Amino acid sequence: MSKDFDIKNIAKLASINLSEDEQKELDNDLSIILEHVKALSDLKLDTEQKEIFIHPLEKELELQEDKLVESLTHEEALSNAPKSKDGKFVVPPSME
Amino acid sequence: MSLQPTIGIETHIELNTNTKMFCRCGVVDTEDPNVSLCPTCLGLPGALPVPNKKAIESITLLALSTGCEITRKGMFHRKNYFYPDLPKNYQISQFDLPVGLNGELEIVIEESTDNIQIERVHMEEDTGKSTHSGSGRIESATSTALDFNRSGVPLVEIVTKPVITSSKQAVAYIEELRQLAIDLNISEGRLEKGNLRFDANISVAPEGSSELGTKVEIKNMNSLRSLERAIDYEIERQTKAVEDGVEIIQETRHWDENKELTSTMRSKEGSADYRYFSDPDLPNMYLSEDFINQVKSTMPQLPKKQREELVDTGLSLKQANILSKSDVWIKSLYFKVHKQTKDSEASFNWITGELQGQMRKSNIEKLPDWFSYEYLSEIIELIKNSKISFTSAKVILSELLNTDSTPNEVAEQKNLFQENDTDKISEMIVQILEENQDVVERIKTGEDKLVGFLVGLVMKQSNGSVNPGMAKELLLKKIED
Amino acid sequence: MDITNLPIRKINTLFSKKELKPSELYSQIFDNAANSEASLHAHLTLFEDENIKKAKESDSRFDSGTAESLLDGIPIAIKDNINIKGYKTTCSSKMLSNYTSPYDATVIKKLKESQTLFTGKTNLDEFAMGSSTENSAFGLTRNPWNTDFVPGGSSGGSAASVGARSSIAALGSDTGGSIRQPASFCGLVGFKPTYGTVSRYGLIAFASSLDQIGPITKTVDDSRIIFSAISGDDPRDATSIVNNQVDIPSGKSAKIGVIKELMEDGISDEAKNEVNKVTEILKSNGYEVKEISIPIIELAISIYYLIAPAECSANLARFDGVRYGLRVDGNTSYEMMENTRAEGFGKEVKRRILLGTYALSAGYYDEYYGKALQARKEMIDEFTKAFDEVDYLISPTTPTQAFKAGEKTSNPLEMYMSDLCTIPANLAGLPAISIPTGITNENLPLGVQVMSRALSDHSLLNFSEIIEKEIQFNQQPKGWV
Repeated sequence: MSKDFDIKNIAKLASINLSEDEQKELDNDLSIILEHVKALSDLKLDTEQKEIFIHPLEKELELQEDKLVESLTHEEALSNAPKSKDGKFVVPPSME
Repeated sequence: MSLQPTIGIETHIELNTNTKMFCRCGVVDTEDPNVSLCPTCLGLPGALPVPNKKAIESITLLALSTGCEITRKGMFHRKNYFYPDLPKNYQISQFDLPVGLNGELEIVIEESTDNIQIERVHMEEDTGKSTHSGSGRIESATSTALDFNRSGVPLVEIVTKPVITSSKQAVAYIEELRQLAIDLNISEGRLEKGNLRFDANISVAPEGSSELGTKVEIKNMNSLRSLERAIDYEIERQTKAVEDGVEIIQETRHWDENKELTSTMRSKEGSADYRYFSDPDLPNMYLSEDFINQVKSTMPQLPKKQREELVDTGLSLKQANILSKSDVWIKSLYFKVHKQTKDSEASFNWITGELQGQMRKSNIEKLPDWFSYEYLSEIIELIKNSKISFTSAKVILSELLNTDSTPNEVAEQKNLFQENDTDKISEMIVQILEENQDVVERIKTGEDKLVGFLVGLVMKQSNGSVNPGMAKELLLKKIED
Repeated sequence: MDITNLPIRKINTLFSKKELKPSELYSQIFDNAANSEASLHAHLTLFEDENIKKAKESDSRFDSGTAESLLDGIPIAIKDNINIKGYKTTCSSKMLSNYTSPYDATVIKKLKESQTLFTGKTNLDEFAMGSSTENSAFGLTRNPWNTDFVPGGSSGGSAASVGARSSIAALGSDTGGSIRQPASFCGLVGFKPTYGTVSRYGLIAFASSLDQIGPITKTVDDSRIIFSAISGDDPRDATSIVNNQVDIPSGKSAKIGVIKELMEDGISDEAKNEVNKVTEILKSNGYEVKEISIPIIELAISIYYLIAPAECSANLARFDGVRYGLRVDGNTSYEMMENTRAEGFGKEVKRRILLGTYALSAGYYDEYYGKALQARKEMIDEFTKAFDEVDYLISPTTPTQAFKAGEKTSNPLEMYMSDLCTIPANLAGLPAISIPTGITNENLPLGVQVMSRALSDHSLLNFSEIIEKEIQFNQQPKGWV
């Protein structure tokens, strides 16, 4: 298979900041794995992708009544926050 | 070369369910941050989504009311992008199998209607809210604070086909959609609370061209006024660019409310490729015939049908449209008053003009219990029969909003019945003419305007109980004599 | 008599007869853990203090005759990707090294209702991605039969814990063999129930459409007891199903198939021999045994290594340093998230996230993920056909015995191949069990896998018990002593 992926772009999409070394290594790993899974692309099947159930047992979705259930307290919700202030989670600026 | 704009609008409507889309946390309206959360809407490891039946019913209802085909076998997809206010860093949405496809919505501009083609109606979940702090300007924020109360609140997204051609149509479309959501009782429909949010895709192309121009997405329009202005600005900007031979770039632009212009938004990193795939936590959703019929059975009268009924009472389309976009009690008040008076014009004017005006002025939100629609009919009848003047009618209405009384009682108490007895009025006029000989002389020499002065004196002396038309007529007659 | 070797039902009888106290059993179990932990590193946390108290409470329930559950006072180890409220849940990842869960997984709620003791949290391959428990940010786990060898994975800690009698039984999770493969490597019973019969709520997702919680035990009956306690439809998991078991014969009228494609190249002779040994016994007992071909199994690894990474790329997106877990700062939120994920995830996790991201990305979806979905559907259909012919399918659980630590870490694909026999049951959602059947020349255990149609879990357990009785595998590891 022609190598048609750009590891930098994939890492960006996956939001992982890879070092040069990691890029090289993962680029190589992915090539090997993709070469292996290539066997699939030759497979001819008639099922339409759209028609496929996501649940392996073809269960249908059940909808739940619109009734309130109490859950986490405010303190529990923030208990693992790396940084918080005035009851809010705080992160570096999300608009550059 | 004349350029034709083409606009498509994506609208998100927040549904009025008790609980969120995929968990049973309350949908809350509070400034207290992070108080309505569970592992699911906070995106904690191991938590799973379970869909809200009411939300799916609401979305189905909206799809049915816009004449969409309902996708019987539906599916939820994950839309992947990283953003700090999106807890799972994917949004559960619908991709190629939305609840509704190919509908339309009738809009009204002045005295004519248009049908806006709707491409799709689908489910989405809302994100948390970000507050950027620093010097107060987004560009120089030093940190971002996150409140996830809104995370997971159910939204319905309605996407039009690129068929809108002006900012006026766009505004009329949003107004219509908002009213529809309110009438269907699926949303509060409050723009100022962000219950309705809209983005516009705008392009321009030579008139008659079969191809659309490069589309630009405009975001951050949070009122109908900004929608109108942003669209007008963008059409002008693109038109000028085309005329100047400048290439239009496909991008997302931000409407700046203060500067009144659109500017390039820095694109969300990695936003170009959402990697949609069906959410393995949510099995396929089948909407059964029974489910659809049950939803159909809850459908109220739609705004379009309401307008038709209103026009049948004798109103113009424009008037009917105004009423169809008014609160329910106003519509029903109109029908009741009209039924009694058979006067569509007077009923419409008294309700949408004077009554609503006075209520607004006095900050009255709902009619007092004692206030019967029959009072309005009575007032309209009294005016029609010249029993009271228009001015007196306003006074009576104002009184009725504050005291438990009837129009006749108020007119009686305040002595507002018009004097229609010619002899009595003549007596009064003779006296006034005598006391104002000089004015009479001047009128006779051509100063017609002074007649009004004399009418005023008659009104004053009679405490406004004289029919002013009759007073004027009699005055002129006496002066001529 | 070593009480920690006894099956649960026997222990419960001793408790009820007051011949043994839960606190005595726990004390023995904890001693075993204390003795083996240094060489095996099966656990990430041990809950000694709270368990002494809970064991005493269990003592008094048995004293007063109020103990109702078979699992009352039974010490069970929990894989550290299952949330227990108030305890760390790390997934063996640096990302969650400080994460304390504020909620219980549904299986934990159920086990708490059954009054089990949780001995501690067991080691795993980071986020359950791996087949050797070498991919743990907190150090590898070793095989209790021989510490030079891996215990298998990803539930290697759970298997090592039960193997070393540091717990009576353990919960693991199985996405592509993560319960069955370590059970086979450690001479234990490992049971992956039908997809949906055990709630995934609170299990930190690796690949949602494949993940299933199940027991690792010394006997088939122990697995049955735990499965009965943890299964059931859960309103918090939309993929969970009502556990309506179908009955299929387990006695001599049952038809047995040996999967042709799992007895070919790539499977060691030792592993084949175990299967042959079992089928010979079955034949001699009057069972009909025949070869069954499921051709698409040749593609199982390819299908799995597209579907599982695709789902994991979205499932693991929530680990971003915003609301919990590790945070490595940056100038913007995006930098912070990228740095956090770079630092927090190990190599195998990154590999799979990137693979999945690519498989879902624009232009490649149809070729990779979409194709894998189609092939998965084909596999489900081929299994359905196979079960028209036979009731149970037998194969090796693993292509080989346990491998040495470090042996396969350099080549990811080679490691992936060790899941060849177990992956098909996950793709098709079927119940599958590994039963220990023999010891290899290197004195390492090996197991045989049995699969049956969806929702025939209890029949599968009954049938497995027949094999278990015939084989009489009564050996226990001493590798760490």
